[in-house]
Amino acid sequence: MSNNIEKFSYDNAIVRNFAYATAFWGLVGTLVGLLAALQLVLPEFNLGFAETTFGRIRPLHTNAAIFAFVGNGIFMGVYYSLQRLLKARMFSDALSKIHFWGWQSIILAAALTLPLGITSSHEYAELEWPIDLAIAAIWVVFGINMIGTILKRREQHLYVAIWFYIATWITVTVLHIGNNLELPVSLWKSYPVFAGVQDALVQWWYGHNAVAFFLTTPYLGLMYYFLPKAANRPVYSYRLSIIHFWGLIFIYIWAGPHHLLYTSLPDWAQSLGTAFSIMLIAPSWGGMLNGLLTLRGAWDRVRTDPILKFMVVAVTAYGMATLEGPLLSIKSINAISHYTDWTVGHVHVGTLGWNGMLTFGILYWLIPKIFKTKLWSQKWANAHFWIATLGILFYVIPLYWAGWTQSLMWKEFLPEGILKYGNFLDTVTQILPMYALRAAGGALYVVGVIMMCINIIKTVQSGELEPNEAAEAPPLAAVATKGNGGYWHRWIEKRPVQMYVAATIAILIGGLVEIFPMLMVEDNVPKIAAVQPYTPLELQGRDLYIREGCVSCHSQMIRPFRSETSRYGEYSKSGEFIYDRPFLWGSKRTGPDLHRVGDKYSHSWHYNHMYEPQAISPGSIMPPYPWLTENILDTTYTAAKIRTLQALGTPYPDGYAEIANDELMKQAKEIADNLSKDRKNLLGMGSVDEELERREIIALIAYLQRLGTDIKPKPQAEVE
Amino acid sequence: MYKYILEGAGNINWMAIFALVTFFLIFSISAITVFRQKKSFIQKMAHLPLEDNLSNNDIE
Repeated sequence: MSNNIEKFSYDNAIVRNFAYATAFWGLVGTLVGLLAALQLVLPEFNLGFAETTFGRIRPLHTNAAIFAFVGNGIFMGVYYSLQRLLKARMFSDALSKIHFWGWQSIILAAALTLPLGITSSHEYAELEWPIDLAIAAIWVVFGINMIGTILKRREQHLYVAIWFYIATWITVTVLHIGNNLELPVSLWKSYPVFAGVQDALVQWWYGHNAVAFFLTTPYLGLMYYFLPKAANRPVYSYRLSIIHFWGLIFIYIWAGPHHLLYTSLPDWAQSLGTAFSIMLIAPSWGGMLNGLLTLRGAWDRVRTDPILKFMVVAVTAYGMATLEGPLLSIKSINAISHYTDWTVGHVHVGTLGWNGMLTFGILYWLIPKIFKTKLWSQKWANAHFWIATLGILFYVIPLYWAGWTQSLMWKEFLPEGILKYGNFLDTVTQILPMYALRAAGGALYVVGVIMMCINIIKTVQSGELEPNEAAEAPPLAAVATKGNGGYWHRWIEKRPVQMYVAATIAILIGGLVEIFPMLMVEDNVPKIAAVQPYTPLELQGRDLYIREGCVSCHSQMIRPFRSETSRYGEYSKSGEFIYDRPFLWGSKRTGPDLHRVGDKYSHSWHYNHMYEPQAISPGSIMPPYPWLTENILDTTYTAAKIRTLQALGTPYPDGYAEIANDELMKQAKEIADNLSKDRKNLLGMGSVDEELERREIIALIAYLQRLGTDIKPKPQAEVE
Repeated sequence: MYKYILEGAGNINWMAIFALVTFFLIFSISAITVFRQKKSFIQKMAHLPLEDNLSNNDIE
């Protein structure tokens, strides 16, 4: 051993900052989630403002939970463990600070733009292009800081947690770029490069892997570091952790299409998604067992140590979610679960159980460590554990029940061959008690988070941060000449650059095989002659549909089941979506599918239904949208929108952008005239009826009336 | 049963086979190599999180 010991220090201040942000955004994210849960029980909780309506609150909640709470949790854990595993201070304190403040600014930008309706509508990638660029920049800062630290390390071999961090960084970079390829129309509006089925495939390749590589792999890295720390014993099997790593990162990337089973996605892509999802059970459970078995011989401590309790439930929830996920990817099970609350229950086992509980455990372990003190109250931490566990159970069990109930009701036929619950609303009101229980479970979970925040504040007050924790270790050069081992894995562990390359290749194989044929082979999306681009007014209406987040509750994808074609009409064809930028298939039916809603109701029905849904459908939980009848449609960017779509390949005639607003007004006038005939039956008519054709509601009606009508049989004369 | 699966596969059979072979190779190679590593090295790696100071690089 070398006598040349170097003295240095670990940066604890950046860890503290990310820890505070984790706790704070954890509270905000769960509170916004609670608001969304209450809105589904009592529409009054939409509070009457456009900004606080469910369609805008839901993405705010998911973004806060994933990128603010879990995101800061990742950085907190990485900045603590990376320094210690590499025996080196972070590469650059300045980059650490830029990373921290940059990430918080992005969260703030999200918290402002999402309630304003500025959204790309891609699930978990809703933020518009300027924020996407900022995310890319800050992510690169994080990457440089991490790679820099790895390169100046004093520990020759990279512990498995660091491989998970590396894989996370690479994959999130690839996913973020791939799913945010978009052409700006204005500062806050863009259209995606891909359309329809292709957009759906790319989005769910991203969406699935956001779960995989943002909510799972970094947290597995944290598990492999903090669980041994908290239990004060090494991981059960280091060998198993290596197989876990390569198995997981190789397989995960392929599984995205399981979000699109029975949709218009080609069969081969669906089958690929299912096969790889089932295969995922093996590495996932390997990892779970590795985590739980780390506690062998220490289970007595789990009874008394709240930190271990949190971690045990977290790892168990990881195991449950990763068994349930593959099961949900089996087509026959997916036929029941998809579009229901079963999916929502499933993801919350992951976020509340796996991410939430592991984060809480780490916070309770880490805060006293860096503040050189003891946790203020073990009792409170224990109480938090039980309240949070009960909260999860009260959250997910009612949602499983609600999901099964609703799905069975959707599919039930009378002996006469007609749907037993032909009115969709019947299947919603039936599950409202379950939604109320879910909100109660969510409230319990929030109470736990509040208790944790108090516990953290009191702990911080009782100690003092050691911003630069002294450490010492021999330099890498002193030991680098030792034996080479010989096996490829020992070889690669010493060479982080090669590690990056290998991990990139592993994740790219799946992504490329999945997506390339879809993008390259024209046959995958058969064209339908009757399908035409949207008119300018319909396009504006579609963008309002996106702004209001209608996609949060309404799908536009009728699966080829008798129960669906009986309820909604002809099943959806891939060729119908070729001009859809972005695709709006949705992933949850809190309300009915809308793909064939065109021509189903009158204009005045839509007008009244948007103005006050309960007046038309008593018992509906849809929020009212009175502002659509008041706001004047912004037509500033109509021409720019047409030009952008032309650039992306939508076949509008040359010069169409210049006359787009004239066309828009012509169509708006027709709809407004039609509505005026029914004026006495329109709700809320008064001061706003003077310029009816210029109101936003007109554009939305135009879009809704267009939906699914392209392939409805028309008189022969109209067919080209 | 298999007949229908193969019929539906069209001209992308190579993909399924390629995926399976690649996965099998990655899984096998990583499994074989980790089990051929020295116990002392595995021990050292497993204990890394428990050492905040003084790297134990010398236990090779």
